[in-house]
Amino acid sequence: MEMNRVQTTTDVEYRLYATLGDFIEGWDLDIAITPDTRLVEDLEFDSIDVIQLVVAIESAFNSRSIGFQDLLMRDGRYVDDLSVGEITKFLESRVPQA
Amino acid sequence: MTRTLLIGLDGATYTVLEALMRENGDEGVIMPFLAHVVDTGYSAILRSTAHPLTPPAWTTVATGRTPGTHGIYDFVRFEDVGDEVYFTLYDARDFRSETFWQVASRQNRSVVSLNFPMMAPPQKVNGSLIPGFVSWKHLRRNVWPKELYDRIAAIGGFDPKELSWDFERESQIGDVMSDHELHRWVERHLPRDKQWFNIALSLMKEDDPDLLALMMDGTDKIQHQAWHVLDPALWTGDKSEEAQAVRKLVLEYFLRLDGYVRSLYEASGPDTRLIIVSDHGFTGSEKVVRINHYLGELGHLTWRESDGSEAARRRDLANFANLDWTRTRAFCPTPSSNGIVIRRRNEINSAGVEPAEYEAYRDRLIDDLLKLTDPETGQPVIREVFKREDAFPGDAMENAPDLTLVLADHGFVSVRNRAPAVVTRPTPLGTHHPDGVFMMVGTGVANMRGEPMSIVDTTAIMAHSMGLPIPKDFEGRIPAALYEVSHLRAHPVEIGPPTLSVDPEAGPVTSGTAEEEQREEVLAQLRLLGYLED
Repeated sequence: MEMNRVQTTTDVEYRLYATLGDFIEGWDLDIAITPDTRLVEDLEFDSIDVIQLVVAIESAFNSRSIGFQDLLMRDGRYVDDLSVGEITKFLESRVPQA
Repeated sequence: MTRTLLIGLDGATYTVLEALMRENGDEGVIMPFLAHVVDTGYSAILRSTAHPLTPPAWTTVATGRTPGTHGIYDFVRFEDVGDEVYFTLYDARDFRSETFWQVASRQNRSVVSLNFPMMAPPQKVNGSLIPGFVSWKHLRRNVWPKELYDRIAAIGGFDPKELSWDFERESQIGDVMSDHELHRWVERHLPRDKQWFNIALSLMKEDDPDLLALMMDGTDKIQHQAWHVLDPALWTGDKSEEAQAVRKLVLEYFLRLDGYVRSLYEASGPDTRLIIVSDHGFTGSEKVVRINHYLGELGHLTWRESDGSEAARRRDLANFANLDWTRTRAFCPTPSSNGIVIRRRNEINSAGVEPAEYEAYRDRLIDDLLKLTDPETGQPVIREVFKREDAFPGDAMENAPDLTLVLADHGFVSVRNRAPAVVTRPTPLGTHHPDGVFMMVGTGVANMRGEPMSIVDTTAIMAHSMGLPIPKDFEGRIPAALYEVSHLRAHPVEIGPPTLSVDPEAGPVTSGTAEEEQREEVLAQLRLLGYLED
């Protein structure tokens, strides 16, 4: 799949888009990833894919202490879907900027 | 150098294999090659880990260490942060011990490791590694070396969807299926092992590794659902045509499996030692034991109230305990764990048990658990309760459940909130039994039935077979009768330096701050491995 990546402005954003692009390679999706792209609705994520994405992001940012549960859970329940923009914003608040 | 070929048969049991290795009327001999291995080599019962479950048991084979040291206890792990408990999956980064694939690689032995669980993200080895239990979507990123994926993709007939773990399909384990549904379910499992066989054969021929280790897990999956057509004690009398069709298909699976093992052994050359091991055995389970419902009745836990939403409904159906964590002292986190976790009171957890009261509370809880009886028979449904220091001694013990249950029929518990606490299944389902299989044949191997041995012995046996010293911190041993005396005299067991401590960044996570422990988390509806849920 050819990913039409939007222009990214921060190192966090760049690394996230690169990770996500590699992550969905071979999934036969024809979609441009933008901040509005949603994991479940647009990228056909299952819950296991979310776990794998967290592992991939932790590897990309070389940290296992990002605290993804704060993004994935709200009011004691797991969220139904997430946008790329929400993940970017979360990461920018949790990892040091380059 | 003698090549070592390790074939893992997930859940293989002599209860089934012995019947398939001998003539049985019109069915003939289903597994003639395994019969040959037993007839000409060494075989024994192989005792699994204290809780006979795939992740801890295969990790023991892969590391030569028991779970109290290697740190893997279940598919799922959780983090308790007081008013919430987060569930996620164990993975290779949680290993507290070096794998044997790494030990051998460091000593310039080439290794191929295929389909072992908990091996993703992949470790760097001197050879090739493809982890098991990974969905097709993530396989490409999780092989070692990275270019290996293109190599296996070029193998004729390669289909990543057939090869990989289908979480939705496997979540049906434990569901009650009609024989018609079961036939279709078994059918979809047949191509998987063929895919792994093709890869193993290809890498053996192209790379000529010193060790090729391949795990086949169709045995486990099929036995879980089709136990009633496999257990010789249950397959008696007149059976429906649909049941007979299921048995025919299941026998076809085992026939093909026997052929795969034979073909790999023959392709590996005459100077090869073949080791066949299972991670645990199998038996039938008749009872559903809703352990959290029982703990709720006794006041040890409180269920989370549902708001009636779709999200709440999905969460209730997930195979993770869904509780009010502000009012829960003890709970079972997952069906596959068969474990009870006692929460301790601390600065973030006001609901837990006071540390000074822990021992007394635990003793009372054990008494409560052993009092749970089957209303139909009046007999206890829990045969044994292990304290974690007895079941899982070691540096990684703090991650083990406080108590581990052995049910009377060896079944897995249910964590759902349904009454009554104990009911009988309409059809026995396959469940794990501690007694698995060990078979070995090849240069110097004795021809006999040996004494029962431990699963942790298999890694020491692999090392010795490869001409490597056995790391002194390996917990297993070479059975005295495994080799002919002359062979053992010429190839004595050598104890070598201990394994290396693992890199905290690449491997395990040691005890640290709460923040360090708050890592990847799951969405609610993880449809993972419905171990004998009701």
